[in-house]
Amino acid sequence: MAKETINEKIEKLQNGMAWFDSEDFKLEEASAKYKDLAKLATEIESDLNELKNEINVIAEDFSK
Amino acid sequence: MTEQIVYSVQDFQAVCNQIMETAFSGVIVEGEVASFKENQGKYIFFDLKEGDASVGCFMMKFALRFPVKDGMKVRVRAVPKLTKWGKFSLTVQAIVPVGEGDIKKSFELLKKKLTAEGLFAPEKKRPIPANLTKIGVISSTQAAGYADFCKILNERWGGLSVSVAHTQVQGMVAADQIIKALNYFNERGEVQIIAIIRGGGSADDLAVFNDEALVRAVAASKIPVITGIGHEIDTSLCDLAADIVASTPSNVAQMLTRDKKEIINAVRNDIIRTQKLFNLRIDEKIRRNREELTQIEQNIVVKITTELTQIQSIMQRLAEMDPEKVLKRGYAILAGEIKQGGVVKITTETQNLEAEIKKIEERNDG
Repeated sequence: MAKETINEKIEKLQNGMAWFDSEDFKLEEASAKYKDLAKLATEIESDLNELKNEINVIAEDFSK
Repeated sequence: MTEQIVYSVQDFQAVCNQIMETAFSGVIVEGEVASFKENQGKYIFFDLKEGDASVGCFMMKFALRFPVKDGMKVRVRAVPKLTKWGKFSLTVQAIVPVGEGDIKKSFELLKKKLTAEGLFAPEKKRPIPANLTKIGVISSTQAAGYADFCKILNERWGGLSVSVAHTQVQGMVAADQIIKALNYFNERGEVQIIAIIRGGGSADDLAVFNDEALVRAVAASKIPVITGIGHEIDTSLCDLAADIVASTPSNVAQMLTRDKKEIINAVRNDIIRTQKLFNLRIDEKIRRNREELTQIEQNIVVKITTELTQIQSIMQRLAEMDPEKVLKRGYAILAGEIKQGGVVKITTETQNLEAEIKKIEERNDG
């Protein structure tokens, strides 16, 4: 399975949050869901801090 | 005595041209344009003047990248040449206007022409692609503007693949290099957006971004183009042709990325909000349960009260039917066979009596 991108994780977090505000909310499931979301938020923060840009200068000589 | 070399006219001209080409390969000459004329729609002739001095110039029309008029101050890159008629002239490879006034004049003329062609039409503008991961950058890697772009980009976001085409961003060769870089990205189609970046500079420095061929290449790019050229106040024709215009190189980085610090804060706030929401739902559940319990209690009380009332009513009715109560009100109970001379038993509240029936008459008043 392909690794989730940050944007996908953020979307998942927002959907998870919306569940707490929705008609589907069930108290019995809420604690586990909340723990999952808190874990996801930590993951997003960690991903964002670890991600680096790859900047490569093209070898092509544009002066010729 | 050393033997003198004798040249034929043609050889002499060829040697002169060779020497001039070696000595002035791509010489840059600045002067005022005079006697500008176009011939057969292909050739351009004009003189470059400074006071009394003048030099004739020739160039192909396709190499003319800015509108030029008599009186305009220009800089040309040219090769000096002695023509077969013995006339000295400059074969111009490139020409740019010089000085703020003439750059502005040339800018306005070209802007008018390209606007009429629809190159800057708002409906042609494309937005920054969603889910941006691959960016092409055209800039000089030595320029301060490029360093600013990289700094802001790395501060704000990660995970991007940035391909940088190193080109000159000022001078007479810059436009062609930038066009080649634009073609490079468009031919490969590997990046989602192309950023043309150049920090601040004088009107002369930024004049390259008003080059007609470059402006056309920007407008024709299949990949959306964002420009960050000069400072906030500078607007080039490349800016007008680009899909998106940023005010500076740093602003390009800001427009292309989200700020990870803002996202981290937003995610933290999201979790706090979720926790509050969770607590709110628990409180709501408790409140509802209490309300339901209270309702059940009230229902039970109402039920019991109703039942009690009914029982009391029955008991009251029963009590009213008690024979003793009737006797107490002065009535008597008569038992026995009702016949002439018959003996009946009479019960009152306090006595039991036996009595003989003397007469029986039917009632007419009942």
